[in-house]
Amino acid sequence: MADARIRSSQLVNETTTEADAVAALTIGVSAALFALAVAAMFDQVSLTGTIAGAQTVTLLGGLLTLLGLTVIALGAGSRLGYVESTPDPSAGLVAGVGAAFPWALLGGSVASGVLGLGTGGGLVGAVVVGGVALVATVIPREDVGSTVPLGGLLLITGLVFATGVIGPGWVWELGWEQTAAISAQFLIPVATLSTALYGGWAAAKAYGGFGARGRHMGAYVLVYLNAISIVAFLFILVAFVVIQGVPGLLTGFEIGIGAGPEISLLGVSVTLPVSIPFVMNGVALLNEFQGVLPAIVGTFWLVIGAVLLAVPLGVGAAVFLTEYAERGRFTQVVEVATNGLWSTPSIVFGLFGFAFLIPRFGNGKSLLSGMITLGFMLLPLVVITSRESMLSVPDEYRDASAALGVSKWQTIRSVVLPAALPGVVTGVILGVGRIAGETAPILLTMAGGTFVPDTQTVDVIGSFQFISTPPFVANPALLEATSALPYQLFALITAGVGLGSNVSDPNGFRWATALVLLIVVLSFYAIGIVTRYYFRRRLQHT
Amino acid sequence: MAQVNPSRGDRLVDAVGERVRRARGFVDDTEPAALVVVAIMTVSIVAALVGFLAVSDWTIVPFAVFLLSAAVGWVRYQAETAFTIALMMTVSTILILGLIIVFIFRESIPVVQYESAKVFGVSVPGLRMFVQPNWDAVSPPIRYSMVPMIHGTVMVTLIASAVAAPLGVSAALFLSEIAPATVREVVKPGVEILAGIPSIVYGFIGFTVLSPWASDQFQVTGQGSYLFVGIVVGLMALPTVVSVAEDALSSVPEAMKSGSLAMGTTDWQTMTSITLPAAFSGVSAAVLLGVGRAIGETMAATVMLRGVPRLTEPLVNVFYGQETLTSIIARNYGEADGLQMDALFVAGVILFITVLVISVGAQYIEWRMYKRLGGEV
Repeated sequence: MADARIRSSQLVNETTTEADAVAALTIGVSAALFALAVAAMFDQVSLTGTIAGAQTVTLLGGLLTLLGLTVIALGAGSRLGYVESTPDPSAGLVAGVGAAFPWALLGGSVASGVLGLGTGGGLVGAVVVGGVALVATVIPREDVGSTVPLGGLLLITGLVFATGVIGPGWVWELGWEQTAAISAQFLIPVATLSTALYGGWAAAKAYGGFGARGRHMGAYVLVYLNAISIVAFLFILVAFVVIQGVPGLLTGFEIGIGAGPEISLLGVSVTLPVSIPFVMNGVALLNEFQGVLPAIVGTFWLVIGAVLLAVPLGVGAAVFLTEYAERGRFTQVVEVATNGLWSTPSIVFGLFGFAFLIPRFGNGKSLLSGMITLGFMLLPLVVITSRESMLSVPDEYRDASAALGVSKWQTIRSVVLPAALPGVVTGVILGVGRIAGETAPILLTMAGGTFVPDTQTVDVIGSFQFISTPPFVANPALLEATSALPYQLFALITAGVGLGSNVSDPNGFRWATALVLLIVVLSFYAIGIVTRYYFRRRLQHT
Repeated sequence: MAQVNPSRGDRLVDAVGERVRRARGFVDDTEPAALVVVAIMTVSIVAALVGFLAVSDWTIVPFAVFLLSAAVGWVRYQAETAFTIALMMTVSTILILGLIIVFIFRESIPVVQYESAKVFGVSVPGLRMFVQPNWDAVSPPIRYSMVPMIHGTVMVTLIASAVAAPLGVSAALFLSEIAPATVREVVKPGVEILAGIPSIVYGFIGFTVLSPWASDQFQVTGQGSYLFVGIVVGLMALPTVVSVAEDALSSVPEAMKSGSLAMGTTDWQTMTSITLPAAFSGVSAAVLLGVGRAIGETMAATVMLRGVPRLTEPLVNVFYGQETLTSIIARNYGEADGLQMDALFVAGVILFITVLVISVGAQYIEWRMYKRLGGEV
């Protein structure tokens, strides 16, 4: 893979020049502006306030202007031969389109908004200005083409902000029937953010001395930034839910001997040493603290039911497809069908369960319908992952086993399945994490009211019974509507203000529900990922 | 292959003959007792299926027979029983897809008939749903138009693709070509976890944080905009794009990349002129699958949109979000009955067909790419 190649080779020993230092500094300024713009977008930095003694907008504008001037200077320095560089004859069409896009947006907005030419005039303005920017990027030598148009954009944006033409109070009414306006609160951070990105890109090209190396630098800056942003986004998302959810989760939290509720395990009753009412209570009139226990139990049974249905079916189908069937029309049809099932929207599964399962299980929403619907959703994932792991079992294993004179089925049972087990297990765990958080299918097939009282916490095992009329086996718990964590969260969101009569702190309750759901789902993922590492390491060691 | 291709009919006859020969071979090779068990299993499971479809209370009887015969078979003739069960399980995946098609189509028939419109004197069923934009389930004339929801889904999907496609492909390039091994080991599970965050949690954050913020920024009345639903849905479709595109990029043979690097190109030049073009169809399949995910995304759209099925004014007004095909189902299934419920099934049918076409198209593109790359190695 990538690390097998030689990553870099120092053919020419260059010392860092002043131009390189300036370019590196410019990249740094762009990064700072980018961060500042993100902070301003989410009101972490006030646009009307001041940073280090300067008005925020003026500071942003000033930095953008400076950035623009530096970018132009880097290009000009290279063109006039002050800086050693290896530019191509043209910046290329991709860079041209990249530069034309913001210019067209600018031109269109100015023509329709400032000059008042309307939608048609705006379009003409956008095409003309964008076209000019395209030509200005593509026609000159690369060092000019990839810096001057972008530097100019930065310069104009910066000056507009710095001189207060667009200040914190600026608003552009769009004049649409359903009113909407673009305010400075939105425009300034977004414009700063995108122009800073362009500035960073141009500076990175200059840092690489233009040409192939310059483009390499420019692209890598953007790709790395993207990867970092995705990871940062994930962390912020999870951290946000945790911070918002923990207070609600821990209301009435107690620790100490005898603090928790009594539970009986295998006939022995134990008093838990901790009490977290939010996950140990349901909702009842007399409860001191309300909780979501019925929803947690509902999710638990839902997952068990779906796994019991989907895993045998999926593994069986995978065995047939990889071991018995020859590749042909039939396997192709099954493949298309499983991939089709995989991409079928979850709400369509819900509709299907509503039309197919509900009339067959007591004509009402029920836990059983929810289990089967989710099982159908899980099935394609199990088939796909099990098939992959069975295909990755080396054929030598099968040949060695066959050489011992055993039957095909014995080979499958004692060689293929054990070897493929890690992959299957990992796939199932990850799939379960996915379906445990699904709301749409159980919305139509299983879920009942917003709050489920303590007394309705389902007890599936305890309620099996035999009856004298067909179908002879009955389980009322399976045929009752119940709740599950994702549905509970949805119901809490849609219930709106009516929530206050049941729960003292509705918002805390919601966030805590979201947190519990996230913990349940992400722990499946964590277990799945850790299992994969464990098995992979073990494979490498033996 | 020099020989003339046999005609379609001949090939069909050959294929059927092959099947029959193989089945006869199986019958000849297998003990009669095992055959009986397998036959009982097959007959009883088919009977159970028929009973289940006919909503019979007696379904349990053939099912019990199946379990019993399977148990007997497992003890006495394990190999044959295992083969039969595996075959049944394989058939069941096709069966489920078939059942989904049959049942959601069947439920949607009444409203399709109700919404017939005349074109040149010929009555076309369902046409009125697509030629006028009114959805009104309460006051006459009662109309179930799909136009506002299709508009909403198109808007959300366009915005989501604009977010997911460039970011996803860039992240896939990073993971497959650029990142050092240790960084990849961190970022890859991160992307997987991103896929695991339940859509209702995204929706909840969008509803409590993003929507109020957006209506403040754009000074719109009320909450909910296609723009922000699209961005959230795009972030949710991102992991799909990343993982499929990464698979496509790493399936480009190393020899091709090394050959390019040996010419003295930079890594980035190799990526843009060798790796990306070679994996282009796989990458576009990834984007297609991401689009499919975005179309089918339900909960985030349901809690973030306004829930009023009408077109935005003007059509490009992304600062207002009315309703999508998915959200109308999730929002209205509760109080809907009769024709309105059937209309929700029509929305489901449109979604199902669109996404199925996308999925099959993506598979076809991928299959062609692997075939071509396979030929070049």
